[in-house]
Amino acid sequence: MSTDPNQAVACRTVDAEERSLLGRVLDRIADHCRARSLFVLHYCTGCGAIELPPTMTSRFDLERVGMQPMVTPRQADILLITGYLSVKTLKRVVMTYEQMQGPKYVIGLGSCTINGGMYWNSYATIKLLDRYIPVDNYIAGCMPRPEAIQQVFLDLMGRIDRGEAQAWKDYYRRYDWYLGQQQQLFGTNWQAPTDVVGEAIRYRLVGEQTLGSHTAHLERYAPYYDQLGIIRPEPARMKARPQLEVVSR
Amino acid sequence: MDFTHLFVELVLMPLIAFLVGLVMVLMLRKVRAKIERRIGPPLLQPLYDIVKLYSKKTQVSHGPMHEIAMMVALGGVIAMEVFLPVPGLNGLAEKGDLIVLIYLMMIPSLGLALGVGACANPNGSIGISRALTAMVAYDIPLMIVVAGVALFHGTTSLPEIIAAQQAGGMSTWGIVQTPVLALGGLIAAYAMLGKEPFEIYVAPAEIATGPMVEMSGKFMGTLFVMQCFQLYAVGVLYTTLFLGGGEYWISFLPKIFAVVFIPLAMTNVFPRYKTEDVLKWMWKWAGGFALAGLALVVMK
Repeated sequence: MSTDPNQAVACRTVDAEERSLLGRVLDRIADHCRARSLFVLHYCTGCGAIELPPTMTSRFDLERVGMQPMVTPRQADILLITGYLSVKTLKRVVMTYEQMQGPKYVIGLGSCTINGGMYWNSYATIKLLDRYIPVDNYIAGCMPRPEAIQQVFLDLMGRIDRGEAQAWKDYYRRYDWYLGQQQQLFGTNWQAPTDVVGEAIRYRLVGEQTLGSHTAHLERYAPYYDQLGIIRPEPARMKARPQLEVVSR
Repeated sequence: MDFTHLFVELVLMPLIAFLVGLVMVLMLRKVRAKIERRIGPPLLQPLYDIVKLYSKKTQVSHGPMHEIAMMVALGGVIAMEVFLPVPGLNGLAEKGDLIVLIYLMMIPSLGLALGVGACANPNGSIGISRALTAMVAYDIPLMIVVAGVALFHGTTSLPEIIAAQQAGGMSTWGIVQTPVLALGGLIAAYAMLGKEPFEIYVAPAEIATGPMVEMSGKFMGTLFVMQCFQLYAVGVLYTTLFLGGGEYWISFLPKIFAVVFIPLAMTNVFPRYKTEDVLKWMWKWAGGFALAGLALVVMK
């Protein structure tokens, strides 16, 4: 034991994340249930949607491990993104992702979400999905077989069960960085309907990089971040053309 | 009946309803899985879903009305359970009767309509208008069936109806005495479950689950709990009216599971009706059988 008085047990500062014994037991039960009940929202505008019916239906039957498809982002836990995303569909993915309720998980399916895949030379598609939203698991391949999809689901379930799949908190803690990446593509007038900063304050997930130079662009839509509520766009300012910055790829 | 006894019954009845309802939800999903030649979910799956939904860490609420209305809807189904007599537990069934029960059965849909209205999602609005249309479709045959049963037994009290049916064994059951009414009632009960082909207000591929579209986390969990209560309530109501209620749980539980199983076994092979077709079909066939049954009761 340390002899330094500042290190003595009575003087230690309590970690904000620390939970009581009962809290830890409840967390354990909740994580156990979360891992066994995952509702999947498919975002299948790219290719690869054809691999999912055999995964879900009688050939491999994902309901055995408690997974079932859901149709709206509000109800879903997993956002499964198959194949490439164009800049235009990425906007919808970000909006969808922000509408989901935490804990939420993102799985990128196929090479296109990892490095652009066969669309590497395309000016219209993104290269790496986790620059724009936090991704829990990737499935490499073009296309991955249902066995690979299942393996990743099982891996994700294991990590949720152990309480390790916390990537969704990263979006709140480093929102400024994610927003900056999004603004590089969409321009600084980009804003999604969900007030992420307000949610981060509400759920105590504010990190050092939650606010920054990029979220400053949002302040014209929500002048007071300490007051919760929906960001309301001002019509006059929305008319200004977005200043697209040139992105070096 | 003293107060303590009543209090114990009021706590026990919804609790039993919830537990039996969980098993019914499991049966619902297992039956669907078996028909599709899948293995289906594990035994505790309904519980996992509910615990998971209640332990979501963020939550979107669309104003006070959204929250109050969900409590109204859940309160409606819980209130319904204490008016449904089960073996050994009568609850408030002796004080209220069939008419009260029918009123209470409308509360969940109306509560949901208030809450979904606060969400301001167009899919939700379409969904809830369809849900209320479906209610009109199955409530009219159901009311005729209930009137027929009440006329036949000369009372609207559920314990008395059960006692009359249990007087002579199986031959005095409602399904033997008034088979046409029972058929009309079964079709109405099927529509009350809201499964295909009467699934107009959920319609995941068309209006994205309708009323549930904006429900996240705890609201969705409340809806899952409500589903347990509603499956149980439909089973118990039909058993009470036509299958002689229950003297013992051992004979009562198979009956209520059988009532819920019949629609579930059929539902998986159907697509979905259009809204106006549900109305036409229900009034024509369920309403027709119910009216014919009522006529037979009156002529007797």
